[in-house]
Amino acid sequence: MSSSSETHQSQHPAFYMVVVMLIIMAIGPIALMFVNSFKLDVDIISGTSGLLFLPTIQNYETALCDVLPYEMEHLDFCALKFGGAFVNSLVIALVSTILTLVIGCMAAYALVRFRFMGRDAVSGSTLMVRMVPPAVLLVPVFGLWNNEFCISKTSWLGSLIRDEFGGRGDVCLAGTHSGIILIYVAMNLPFVIWILQSFIVQVPRQLEEAARMDGAGPFQVFFKVVLPLIKPGLAAAAIFTFRIAWNEYLLASALSDRDTKTVPILIVNNMSEFNVEWGVIMATGMLLAIPPIIFTLFASRQIITGMTAGAVKG
Amino acid sequence: MSTATFNRLTPYLFLAPAVVIMALALLYPLGYMIYGSFRAWDPSQALGESTFVGLANYVTLWNDPSFHESAGVTLKFAASVVSVEMFIGVGLALLLDRNIRGMSVLRTLFILPMMIAPVVVGLIWRYMYHPSVGIFNNTLKSLGFESIDWLGQHALLAVILADIWQWTPFIFILSLAALQSLPRSALEAARIDGATAWQQIIHIKLPLMMPVLIVTGLLRLIDAFKVLEVILVMTEGGPGLSTEILALRISRTATEFRELGVAAAMSNYLLMMLLVLTVIMLAYNRVQEYRAARAIRIIEEDI
Amino acid sequence: MIKFKKSLLCAAAGTVLLAGQAVAGPYDDYAGQTLVVNFPAHPHYDAVRKILPEFTKQTGIEVEVDQLPYLKMRERQTLELGQDEGDYDLIAYVVFSKADYVYADQLENLARYFMNPKLADPSYDSADLIDGYVYNIGFAGGDKGYLQGKTGSLFGMPYGSETSVLGYRKDIFEKHGLSVPETYDEMLDIACKIPELEPGMGGLSSRAASGHHAAHAFLLHLAPLGGRIFDDSWNPTMNNEAGVQAANALKTIVDCGPEGAASFGFGEALGSFLAGDTAMFLDTTIVAGQIDDPDKSKVVGKVGWAMHPMGERRASQTGGFGIGIPKNAENKEAAFLLMQWLTSKEGDKLVALAGGNPSRFSTHDDADVNAKFPHMKTFGEALQHADPDWRPIIPVWGKVNADLGTTLSKVLTEDLDIQEALDGVAERTTAIMEEAGYYTWK
Repeated sequence: MSSSSETHQSQHPAFYMVVVMLIIMAIGPIALMFVNSFKLDVDIISGTSGLLFLPTIQNYETALCDVLPYEMEHLDFCALKFGGAFVNSLVIALVSTILTLVIGCMAAYALVRFRFMGRDAVSGSTLMVRMVPPAVLLVPVFGLWNNEFCISKTSWLGSLIRDEFGGRGDVCLAGTHSGIILIYVAMNLPFVIWILQSFIVQVPRQLEEAARMDGAGPFQVFFKVVLPLIKPGLAAAAIFTFRIAWNEYLLASALSDRDTKTVPILIVNNMSEFNVEWGVIMATGMLLAIPPIIFTLFASRQIITGMTAGAVKG
Repeated sequence: MSTATFNRLTPYLFLAPAVVIMALALLYPLGYMIYGSFRAWDPSQALGESTFVGLANYVTLWNDPSFHESAGVTLKFAASVVSVEMFIGVGLALLLDRNIRGMSVLRTLFILPMMIAPVVVGLIWRYMYHPSVGIFNNTLKSLGFESIDWLGQHALLAVILADIWQWTPFIFILSLAALQSLPRSALEAARIDGATAWQQIIHIKLPLMMPVLIVTGLLRLIDAFKVLEVILVMTEGGPGLSTEILALRISRTATEFRELGVAAAMSNYLLMMLLVLTVIMLAYNRVQEYRAARAIRIIEEDI
Repeated sequence: MIKFKKSLLCAAAGTVLLAGQAVAGPYDDYAGQTLVVNFPAHPHYDAVRKILPEFTKQTGIEVEVDQLPYLKMRERQTLELGQDEGDYDLIAYVVFSKADYVYADQLENLARYFMNPKLADPSYDSADLIDGYVYNIGFAGGDKGYLQGKTGSLFGMPYGSETSVLGYRKDIFEKHGLSVPETYDEMLDIACKIPELEPGMGGLSSRAASGHHAAHAFLLHLAPLGGRIFDDSWNPTMNNEAGVQAANALKTIVDCGPEGAASFGFGEALGSFLAGDTAMFLDTTIVAGQIDDPDKSKVVGKVGWAMHPMGERRASQTGGFGIGIPKNAENKEAAFLLMQWLTSKEGDKLVALAGGNPSRFSTHDDADVNAKFPHMKTFGEALQHADPDWRPIIPVWGKVNADLGTTLSKVLTEDLDIQEALDGVAERTTAIMEEAGYYTWK
């Protein structure tokens, strides 16, 4: 990687042309969505491209109608419950990220320090699990979460849940936040363990031994000594898990019910055949893309670390 | 409990949550799927209520022309996106491996497409491919060309282009990292020997990068088999079955045709296909790693 | 997020508050209940959502709507109806789900409710409901299992009934002295003339995308041209002369259609008509509302309506949705009250004025409705020629439909030979029907 202290070489102008072209290609489509999300459908469909239009936030108002405090004149009722879905997405992505990190971290530490398996075995099995497409999990997860992973509503816990939260029938994982979180944690764990391993390996053993001399137990050593040292790895792993949980559509759509829909489901549902409301869809797409864009802008270094740790060192 | 037993148990305690979750939510479902693939299974039934049909689901698929077409589309899609992305990604890495101002900004911008939800990528591209108001046809028209029926006659090409847009940066960034971690000594040696830029690339850089490139390619290949949302939003697998990759067909078989058993069998076929490809790539990687190690040794002996 | 159920206390308070407006009597026992209903994302049901507050105001019964794209809706219902206790009190279903749900014994027979003097409204006037729709959408167990007949009974009510009509651009037709097509030949002829007369404009925009879009477009032409999917003993006949003619018609329409027509779903097809890129549109009546909406349409006031052209016979599609009460619902009686209110004369008129599709004769003739939507009269006329048997409603139809849709899409984009393609569909359909047991009595 280029360090800032070195002098920068000057390049041929054509080289810069290429670079500018690449930048336009990379962010152009996203910019296009951004611009269109401020246009009315009539302006979008009439095909008058360019910037000659009256920007409006009406699309965003339509999308956020369930959380905005005022009534909108252009809407008869609030069809798109974007606010609710956004909260669902946020809860599911955050909880599954935190769980994956904590559990993955502990497992990676145990694998490295206590030498359960060789590094090759771990990389091998990680790759195997990474190989499984979400579509393959669709059928079994749908069946299990709906029919097997249930508590009878007559059992103690089941009746407690039904009394507290309402709903009908046996209490099943499907249709709950926990159900979606469980599958996301499972899907992301192998990758997180893999990345974190490569960071934990670099923590000098002497530091841990010194702490142990001072009378710290294994948990204290782990939390006070190891964790702070692998922060960059944690950041990278966190961004990757969050990204997958935030963006995933297929499994969430099979497992969620009307109260647990996430934003990607909402977007796909609104590409309905009768009425593609481009403006509103672009606005929801933009809102969904904002968190990942922010991460990218502020933590690109960690993302690149994570990517290269995943492939180059593995 | 004494401290000694506690210490002996620690590793197991650390591993337990991960093992439990993966067993419950990955291994069990996979076993469940294999079991289900031998049964005539309807979404309104629990698996226990379904009837055992032996290999019938596998045989049906084996003889099903739609399944063949779908498998063909999947392979075509995966092969083209991986090869084109590798070509462009590695090419760009070689071109941009210079010490220029703003390199980190450039890298940040390149990562953006990868981070955005596939659903959103699909929606942006579906709009850009729109027959009358999309940016591609508008540009073509204003330049005086015939407009192209992107999502109709050229649907597969259209989804391949979208995937290339989203994932070429992945290969670019990994290749760049690989390039920058090459042993300086080898490159110095070549420069002293008077090798041209092309000779350096062909004889030194590429062979030395090869192990990383193979892993990168493998990761991309695996991911290419997972693509679903982008295509779902852009074409829903159409027209005909021209963009219906297996992942999409599995989900349609399960939800639209309501045949969970067949969908499970199809999932198994897909897994087997992936397994074979992965094993081949890994074996090839071993060979290349060995060669790269030998190449470094030879170059270093030269000095 | 799982919502806390409204406590009894809260419900009681609601009743007291609403007692002033509520009609004393039929609704009292149910005021304060919350019905969960599952509706499709569809213009008619958008209109329904606008009138639901009125229902709550009159009855004190709350309604929570779960609105989904209709393939998603069907998926969801498959899951919900299969359980011991389901979430939904009232569901809207597509016509062809009728076969699945009734066969799996998942819908309530409505006789019990119409017999109950406490629930059934004596002024309901069932004779005013459009016959074809009641039989097509609500009836099961009659002739062929899905048509009207002496052995049948009622499991749902038509709600959001559609038929096909021809929309045409009055200005374009006038400019070139074209007359509104009465027959298929005239329509195809004009469809292919338009691109010559008006460069850049397509003739007729139709759905054609792979899957149910293409299948739907084919079926739309099959019945008027004299064809059927099956003969009386369930042998596939979509590959006979009429079938080939229908596929040819579809191909001609797509070839003379707007750019990219072969990949159009319903949304794109309508979008191209709304944008003024095509001169004609042959599809469901549901689009009328959008065509007159200046926010969405560039052809406001330029569109005239005519009946679906004739081939061998007049046979426009019957489609749309019905509403029914799941067997595993929690509040079945209140659900019936909602269903009855929605399909009553009052509800039907309200939904028509809100932009929905009425399912009563009287609403189509209603002066207020016609004043707001002048096309309603034509639509009412078209409804009388609606063909309840334009597509079979049997449990395996989904499979046949999917195959038909994919194959036709190949005909449109890959130039497959039509006869060969349809023969293939017929052959695979025979196998499907054989497996499903339709040839047991041969």
